[in-house]
Amino acid sequence: SLTRQPEEVFDVLCKLGEGSYGSVFKALHKESGQVLAIKQVPVDTDLQEIIKEISIMQQCDSPYIVKYYGSYFKNSDLWIVMEYCGAGSVSDIMRLRKKTLSEDEIATVLSDVLKGLEYLHLRRKIHRDIKAGNILLNSEGHAKLADFGVAGQLTDTMAKRNTVIGTPFWMAPEVIEEMGYNCVADIWSLGITALEMAEGKPPYGDIHPMRAIFMIPTKPPPSFRQPDQWSPEFIDFVTGCLVKNPEQRATATSLLSHDFIRSAKPCSILSQMIMEAQEKRKTQQQGISRPDLQVPEASPQADEDEVDSDTMVRGRDDGTLVPSAGDTKSSLKGEFESAMHTMVINTDDEDEESTMKRYPTDDGNSKYCPPFLDRVGKSDLEVRSAEEFAKKQNVSHDVSQTKNVTQDVPAPTKKPPGNQEAQQPSQKVEPAVPPASKPNLSVQAPPPSPQIAMINHNLIANLKHIYNLPPLDNPPIRFQRPFSDGEFEFLKFLNLDDLETRLSKLDHEMEQEIDELRRRYQAKRQPILDAMDQKRKRQQNF
Amino acid sequence: EQRVALPPKPPHTTFHQPSVLVPANPYLNEEIPSWLRVYLKASSEFDNKLHWDLFRLPQLEAFEAMIRRLLKEDLEEIVNSYEAYRIALTLEIDRRRKILKPVDPEVMKQQALSQSHETKV
Ligand SMILES: Nc1ncnc2c1ncn2[C@@H]1O[C@H](COP(=O)(O)OP(=O)(O)OP(=O)(O)O)[C@@H](O)[C@H]1O
Ligand SMILES: [Mg+2]
Repeated sequence: SLTRQPEEVFDVLCKLGEGSYGSVFKALHKESGQVLAIKQVPVDTDLQEIIKEISIMQQCDSPYIVKYYGSYFKNSDLWIVMEYCGAGSVSDIMRLRKKTLSEDEIATVLSDVLKGLEYLHLRRKIHRDIKAGNILLNSEGHAKLADFGVAGQLTDTMAKRNTVIGTPFWMAPEVIEEMGYNCVADIWSLGITALEMAEGKPPYGDIHPMRAIFMIPTKPPPSFRQPDQWSPEFIDFVTGCLVKNPEQRATATSLLSHDFIRSAKPCSILSQMIMEAQEKRKTQQQGISRPDLQVPEASPQADEDEVDSDTMVRGRDDGTLVPSAGDTKSSLKGEFESAMHTMVINTDDEDEESTMKRYPTDDGNSKYCPPFLDRVGKSDLEVRSAEEFAKKQNVSHDVSQTKNVTQDVPAPTKKPPGNQEAQQPSQKVEPAVPPASKPNLSVQAPPPSPQIAMINHNLIANLKHIYNLPPLDNPPIRFQRPFSDGEFEFLKFLNLDDLETRLSKLDHEMEQEIDELRRRYQAKRQPILDAMDQKRKRQQNF
Repeated sequence: EQRVALPPKPPHTTFHQPSVLVPANPYLNEEIPSWLRVYLKASSEFDNKLHWDLFRLPQLEAFEAMIRRLLKEDLEEIVNSYEAYRIALTLEIDRRRKILKPVDPEVMKQQALSQSHETKV
């Protein structure tokens, strides 16, 4: 029925994890007995945009892409119902096992990911958020791309919220430079993700994101920290992804016939890794559910940041455990917190442990939260309405296709993974909705439709959030820079302790200065945003 | 009533290269009116005297995008300044350490040879 509340349709079982926009829960579809994942995102803006996005995502039907079944509004939350992937994300698995992936494991995961990307790219869709956290594995070891479209769209629509948002580490240079981009932007991110799976974090992952933003377009492409540990095929694969000029970058289709991928082993080789992660998850959940521990919510991830103090070890085939540079956690927050605890310099030395220099940045106060965690957020940006764009482009908008999605959740059809693409939807499960809103299951690549053009237009705002700061309540304190530009002679007269203290404070001080700058800009920008808001409202009324 | 000089017409240009799905930021190379720079630098004291509602929506969108671009430029300047400071500090610290603990030059040479990576700053 169309008017049923989501909790009548689903049993929410437990929390699976938490991301930048909301939490993900495991749930049971009561009617069909299917296990599903539901992402609950608090939203407080006009949701038309998101609804359209989701309807487009629903049309994707590939075994390599997490299936989206539909969405609900519940109070001020948006519930996004999707396929459940029992083994969680690749970054979850790394974090749980405290271990990076071996080359064989990486090849197997990447082979599925590339099939997913090829599917999207043939349809002129850009994923825009490829990273280990968005590669989910089901219990058989099949990898699937998650968060297609949602990420970017939510980023824009969540404009009015002061949330922590995505990170620059996986972004292609042309995306950061706002020069226009296409599908191969995903291939750059894929190369970064390959390094992430091999080394536990993306390149620049332990430096301040604001520094990374300016480094990615200006520095030569990143590569392995320890190239001698990897096969020439793997290195060549990553090198083909991390080409700065998008015209010369490999494509998903060309990479599928790369030697590294062609010799990938079947997904059964991932079962050991998946089992280990599953066991870790279980013991953690048991620990949490013990009443004497008094943890309010069964959130393994939140708990983990507390216990996870070991460094990750490299998953080498020979079984040796090599500590990776720095504290490796794949959650953004954990990563930055640890990055702030120990600022690692020259980490690409051959012998990391002996030559790595660590500078404590917060005088041992481990609860210190670097201010940029709050501020790599975004503020009240406007999202151009789809209608407005459609009008401009002189295309009529087919609303009938999308108007039902808010309340309709097609009953998930059970399909074996592997060759879904060629299959018709199973008739075993009664569809809970009129056929009109069923996902489009056509296998042909559709011609680029106005709708697709529209998403891309909306998603152009990708970068906006990085440069934005909502005004804060407290008046800014004028920040005094600890040096004057280009004048560093005075350092010679300081003692070593002073120098080290200065270095340890540097990121924080840069933070404060950036903070001040953003506040000033935001204050100046606000009246313009208000005027825009007013004009848009007036337009809507006529 | 106060009036602000009208800015140049906003660009409604996205020259679609066939291969580009997401067009470049149309304001990337647009000239930024000098009064907008002045506005951003000036004290906020008189900001409420400005009647932004006299502009058309596309013009406001242009200003907003330009402000973001200027913010990005200013951010880059800050990051670069601190980058120079960071390098100066690390070099000075390295120098002191070497004075404190002189290393056998032969060992240093070996180390340098075994490092196949470039200097990362
Ligand atoms: N379909 C799913 N099946 C099983 N687990 C899932 C599913 N979707 C998400 N999860 C789990 O929930 C966690 C949070 O996902 P979410 O997409 O909200 O955040 P993220 O991908 O880590 O970061 P971001 O918010 O930047 O996308 C994931 O790390 C994963 O463990
Ligand atoms: Mg995600």
